[in-house]
Amino acid sequence: MNEMEKIAISKQTVSLSDFDRNFKLEVMKHPDASGLNACFSCGTCTAGCPIHEVFPEFDPRKLAKMVKLGMRKQVLSSPYIWYCATCHNCEQHCPQNVKFFNVLNVLKNMAAKEGYAPSCWIKQTEQVAKTGIVFPTEEKWVKKREELLLPSLKLEGKNTKKIIELSGVNKIKPEVNSE
Amino acid sequence: MNKYALFLGCTTPTQVPQYEISARWVCKYFGIELIDIKEFTCCGINQVNLSIEAGLLMAAMNLALAEAEKLDILTLCASCTGALAEAVEKLKDDTTRNRVNEKLREVRLEYKGEVKVRHISRVLYEDVGVEKIKSEVKRDLSSLRVAPHYGCHYLKPKSAFEGFEEPDNPRSLHQLISAIGAQPVNYEALNLCCGGKVFPVSEDLVHLLVQKKFDNLKDKKIDGIVLQCQTCYLMYSDHQNKVNEKYGKQYNFPIILYPQLLGLALGADPVKDLGLNLHTVSVDKVLEKIA
Repeated sequence: MNEMEKIAISKQTVSLSDFDRNFKLEVMKHPDASGLNACFSCGTCTAGCPIHEVFPEFDPRKLAKMVKLGMRKQVLSSPYIWYCATCHNCEQHCPQNVKFFNVLNVLKNMAAKEGYAPSCWIKQTEQVAKTGIVFPTEEKWVKKREELLLPSLKLEGKNTKKIIELSGVNKIKPEVNSE
Repeated sequence: MNKYALFLGCTTPTQVPQYEISARWVCKYFGIELIDIKEFTCCGINQVNLSIEAGLLMAAMNLALAEAEKLDILTLCASCTGALAEAVEKLKDDTTRNRVNEKLREVRLEYKGEVKVRHISRVLYEDVGVEKIKSEVKRDLSSLRVAPHYGCHYLKPKSAFEGFEEPDNPRSLHQLISAIGAQPVNYEALNLCCGGKVFPVSEDLVHLLVQKKFDNLKDKKIDGIVLQCQTCYLMYSDHQNKVNEKYGKQYNFPIILYPQLLGLALGADPVKDLGLNLHTVSVDKVLEKIA
């Protein structure tokens, strides 16, 4: 391999020929991620990211760069893309209006379709289809509300089940190794 | 009289009823009528992880339910506020709205684009106003030093809130706290996220974030943290002991929801009207201080 074809990213050495040049375009096809091309890797997103502050391996700038380089498999299979706290700081501070928070959601959606979704989100979607909320109906909560004279909850998932089916999100299967 | 559809979300009505109790009390006090729509569901914010479209559909369904009753939405949860307000923005686009409505028709609903979504604190700030709140204070809270915590989705994405707040330098909660005589304390980690939305994926990340917030507050001589979202509430209260055990700390910060503090100032009964007996971290020392 030509030395020029080697790009060192962090501690791993990757080869340009392994990259998927269409990956970036595939991501940007989603309207929420269309601004990615404007990213010039300034790192303002990473500088203001609370998760990066406590867990430096989560790095929005690095993820954006990896997408632009075409590191499809490395990005979509990365457990870190699920570590976003959804605070929107990256989008709030970006001088290029990239909206990395939205780009990350597009990446998560793609990863989910390819079987990398953590089971917690799949279970939550299944739950919403049952009760309409992200929790099961628990007797202690129902009782507590009665005691506190609060109105009873309907906790009915007929409509949410339909909505979830219409969106196709019910077809997403969890990652094989995910608990 | 102002009338709103009360959007409870998932967590408040099941795990943090004291927020709901105090919110209902405070709204009643100021003549804000709250209508319960039993068909309301999860706002859809977490579905976005797997499918942006699923999240948007869920939000649109809830907006359509409020619209059918000709009501704007009043939220309690910061995240529901952000998710629903963002959906309102997205659904202003005709192509998007038509696509969404095609699916909503399957559940006999349609969203025309006429609902406004505001958080209870914003309604108090904008509709009732700081001056009116000030004029109603009956109990002296001037000895209380509290750290405000806004909640990320109360402020962001900025585009969803018509310039209501400057996310990097928010003031409304500070002003709402000052209005009732308590002292809002400034601190560096004001805008640090509670981590609630990453909790299902990693409890460890939440603990790191909570610890960081508490560490920043430890020398500020505060009587508690005042916030306006039940998810932030749970991260800072129910995880406080876990953080103490994990990192060998002795944090003891009472966590209070703003309507509870407001209710105290207005002379409400701490237990019956505000549910202050339902807290994981006791708020007794706060109550003693203002007794």
